[in-house]
Amino acid sequence: MNASLIVLELAVVLLGLVVLVQDWFTPAKDRRTLGYGAVLGVAVMLLYSFFAFDGTETLYAFGNAYVMDGLALWFKRFFLLAALLVLIMATEFSERFDAGQSEFFALILFALAGMMFAASANDFILLFVALELITVTFYVLVSFLRRRVESLEAGVKYLILGALSSGFLVYGIALIFGATGTMNFNELADKLANNAALGHKQLLTAGILLVLVGLGFKMAAVPFQIWAPDVYQGSPTPTTAFLSVGSKAAGVVLLMRLLGTAIPDLAFNLEKLLMAMAAGTILYGSLCAIPQRNLKRLLGYSSIASAGYLLLGFAVMNKAGSSAVLYYLAGYLFTVLAAFTVIAIVVQEAGAEDISSLSGLAQRSPLLATSLTLAMVSLAGIPPLAGFFGKFLLLKAVIAEGVRWHAYYWLFAVAVVGVLISLYYYFNVVKAIYWSKGGTDLTPIPVSLPTKFALLVCIAGMFWLGLNPDGALGLAVEAVKSLRLA
Amino acid sequence: MSWILQNLWLIPVLPLLAAGISALLKRPNRSLAAGLAIGSMGASFLLSCAAFVETLGKHGAASRQVFNFDWFALGDTVVRLGWVLDPLTAAMVVMITFVGSLIFIFSVGYMSHDENFTRFFCFLSLFAAAMLGLIIANNLLLLFMCWELVGLASYLLIGFWFHKPSAAAAAKKAFITTRIGDVFFFLGIVWLYSETGTLLFYDSGRGCLEQDALAKMVAHTTIGGLAASSAIGLLLFCGAIGKSGQLPLHVWLPDAMEGPTPVSALIHAATMVAAGVFMLCRIFFILDIPGSHALEIIAWIGGFTALLAALMALQQNDIKRILAYSTLSQLGYMVMAVGLHAPGPAMFHLTTHAAFKALLFLGAGSVIYACHHEQNIWKMGGLREAMPRTWWTFRWGTLALCGVWPFAGFFSKDAILAAALEHKNIPLFVLGVFVAGLTTFYMSRLVLVAFCGNARSEEASHAHESPGVMTWPLVVLAVPTLLAGAIGLDAYIAKALPSEHPPLNEGFWQNLFTPFNHNILAAGFGLLAVVAGYKLARALYVNADRDSLPEKIGVLAKLARDRFYFDELYEWFISVTQETLAKVADWFDRWIVAGFLVRGTHGTTELVGRALRLVQTGSLQTYAFLFAAGVVLVLAWQLLGKGGGH
Repeated sequence: MNASLIVLELAVVLLGLVVLVQDWFTPAKDRRTLGYGAVLGVAVMLLYSFFAFDGTETLYAFGNAYVMDGLALWFKRFFLLAALLVLIMATEFSERFDAGQSEFFALILFALAGMMFAASANDFILLFVALELITVTFYVLVSFLRRRVESLEAGVKYLILGALSSGFLVYGIALIFGATGTMNFNELADKLANNAALGHKQLLTAGILLVLVGLGFKMAAVPFQIWAPDVYQGSPTPTTAFLSVGSKAAGVVLLMRLLGTAIPDLAFNLEKLLMAMAAGTILYGSLCAIPQRNLKRLLGYSSIASAGYLLLGFAVMNKAGSSAVLYYLAGYLFTVLAAFTVIAIVVQEAGAEDISSLSGLAQRSPLLATSLTLAMVSLAGIPPLAGFFGKFLLLKAVIAEGVRWHAYYWLFAVAVVGVLISLYYYFNVVKAIYWSKGGTDLTPIPVSLPTKFALLVCIAGMFWLGLNPDGALGLAVEAVKSLRLA
Repeated sequence: MSWILQNLWLIPVLPLLAAGISALLKRPNRSLAAGLAIGSMGASFLLSCAAFVETLGKHGAASRQVFNFDWFALGDTVVRLGWVLDPLTAAMVVMITFVGSLIFIFSVGYMSHDENFTRFFCFLSLFAAAMLGLIIANNLLLLFMCWELVGLASYLLIGFWFHKPSAAAAAKKAFITTRIGDVFFFLGIVWLYSETGTLLFYDSGRGCLEQDALAKMVAHTTIGGLAASSAIGLLLFCGAIGKSGQLPLHVWLPDAMEGPTPVSALIHAATMVAAGVFMLCRIFFILDIPGSHALEIIAWIGGFTALLAALMALQQNDIKRILAYSTLSQLGYMVMAVGLHAPGPAMFHLTTHAAFKALLFLGAGSVIYACHHEQNIWKMGGLREAMPRTWWTFRWGTLALCGVWPFAGFFSKDAILAAALEHKNIPLFVLGVFVAGLTTFYMSRLVLVAFCGNARSEEASHAHESPGVMTWPLVVLAVPTLLAGAIGLDAYIAKALPSEHPPLNEGFWQNLFTPFNHNILAAGFGLLAVVAGYKLARALYVNADRDSLPEKIGVLAKLARDRFYFDELYEWFISVTQETLAKVADWFDRWIVAGFLVRGTHGTTELVGRALRLVQTGSLQTYAFLFAAGVVLVLAWQLLGKGGGH
């Protein structure tokens, strides 16, 4: 028992409570400062995580339900950084809320706490609780613009479909417990290793698949992607950003734990399924993005396609794939948050979410135009930005498996086709920024100092990952060491 | 190893440095650019003289020295470059640097009003560097690189006045036409390399011109019973066809006269166009391999070029074009000589021709300069009083070109005619004599119309002698025009080349009469042709105001004036082949690639995207249903279907 391991999570929850309490003593016009306070608090925790933990040894707490290892620490820092940037965005955005700005900040912090617990989940109970903490918080975050019917619609859809997926998830957990008699990942792995017959139980397989359904929902992977475009479009932009980065990454880390820690001996059986899901997700996201004119919906489909690329790293079932997943996620964080930060401001200025509201952006704000262009170029996977190396590493991992089984070459081909299609719609956005006609409004868009900071962090991150892949990849390789994969 | 051998590379590198520096100069630095170019050329001339002296006293194999070095290694293959110093090299570098220096000096006057003066000298130096590199190269690859560089310099200089559409077109024509020959030339080089494993000419017994390599090629036949040596020889000859304007790639040279006249003199008369002939002499051992039939073909192509070019010259009215066709014709002589197993006379004629043709071109330049850029000889006339120095030197050049004893051209042309007789090739001998007559005829026409009679235009009547910077080079060039024939140059060059009856150097006065002792038939017929040609020209063109030749020879005159319709033929050929091909490619690109493949793919993809989008109805019930269906699908796939590891 080592309760000191959860100090970061405790601090985050505490920070959320402080924000809520402090709200009583803060006049309405100053509530923005609470947001900046939260940003500062998260920044301190991010820094603290580098002093308090080094992630080289695997530590357990709460009866092995909670694990603190390199992977958990990597994801905790990832979530903290994502929350930091989202909070900056949310603070800018909070003017649009009639009330409850502080609650919005606090809910982001609670969701963050859920994600950080998810990063350390080593037990189906903790997995479920962490996921529910995230999901329930997001129900509120998605429908936060109560006066907007789209926001409410998105909230309802997310609530019902989320509940459905949670139902499948908890059912799956029950089946696994019924088949094996344990909830703990380590124990489950040991049982499977000692008893080969156990692995052939249909009951266990069904349970694992239902857990996969729940995680696939979080990641927005085909065939559980159906909610993503509507919810992305209807939610307040900071929520969409956090949903597409944080919530997706929570699904990723849990899937990684499930495959790499809980059922490493059975994971291989899921190879074909994961390959099919990856291919389907890439194609679905890329193809559906083509006709989109709504920026947030476009990024929703782009986020589905990204889930497909992440699944490539799972389909190969090895550490090269897993480290590539982490690398891709890191690049994805900077890229997507840069895009959403710009979109949040542009949407606020233009009052519309259509792609044409970007026209003249290059004149109105070079910084915003540059950031969004870089984000699109990075998402499209063009060097020297982060997105290129992420996709490169994933595709490299896939093609290396082709020697073992030729179907991987087909998977590779599908992924490349997806990349090609994505070039089209990402560059449509770039085209709208620089070459669209009819942008008559050329008044400069003011950009606040914290937003500038956030954008510069994102740009620096994109370039750092793209130009210095060795360093970042080293961290990712270090982080996936504890997984029991080839 | 002598000092000059080790430092032979300086000869091309000095002009190269001058070119590099003057490329960085600004427009107003005119005198610096000219000074650099002339200075470097002068220094190269002195070095060339030193190289010449080095080879003088040596005989046989000792007269050839080489310096090879490793350029780079690829695995086990080491690419070696080097340079060679033999009488062939020495004669050429002396000739080029001598003529080049004079032409550079002449250019100072001729180009004095051009605002791109510095660029002109930059290009000239670049050309000189490449040309000298080509001469000293002891490696066919190095020779080829310099060969391409002279092509580039030629392109730049023909198109020097690129704002004139005709000049730009002529530059392109020259570049593209010679490129056709170069492609085959390069194929020949590659084939030669695959046969012999080396491109070094001389490499102490291992070079491609030496016994071992040649022996390897003797017995080797390829497809259709064609000897490999014949094929390689002919492919290499294709390079010379392009560069030296032989049939059927001669069409670019007359158009190249669009360039400034010093360029025509240096590149398109004296040096570059002779590079093809030089190259043939350099690789003569390959052409001469027993069993190879390359030389016979070469001889006939040279002969026909000489004849057709001379015929075309009959009816040209542009002073530079007449000289250009005359150059083609003389190059044809040289190539014919190579084909007649007489590379020595070919090189001899090349050297003397360089001197007197440069003189003629510079003289033409002086005339054009004096007549305010009028080039039509029928608008000149009476220039001999106005321009005495130009007149005298031009007349000497004409006498040399016609082959009048004791001018230089007589000796070298006589050597070629004698070679035809010695080889018992009577048709080519007759052809050669006939061309000599034609040469005299058209050159006499040029002189009689342009210099004698009365001025036929305003410009001509006001013409003045050109400034000294232009006329002095003429005077200096007149010296070798008179003397180069009998100073024993033929004997000197013959040391480097195989020859059945090597000419001997018996002293200047003795040499003057050698042709008559050696082969009276050749000398006699040659002189007879000159007399006949001159008589005819006198009858037609003394004090003539217009050309009466077309009335006498009818359709031949029209053919000659229209250059035997070669350009039209090529245009037609290109329009049926290349244009058709281009249209097919365009159609393919437009409909198959862009239309079907690109638009088809794009359309299909977009259609699929739009169709998939319909799944996203926005209806929550549908979403929940699809979600549940997805769960069923996953379970069915894994539990019932082909799940599990493969």
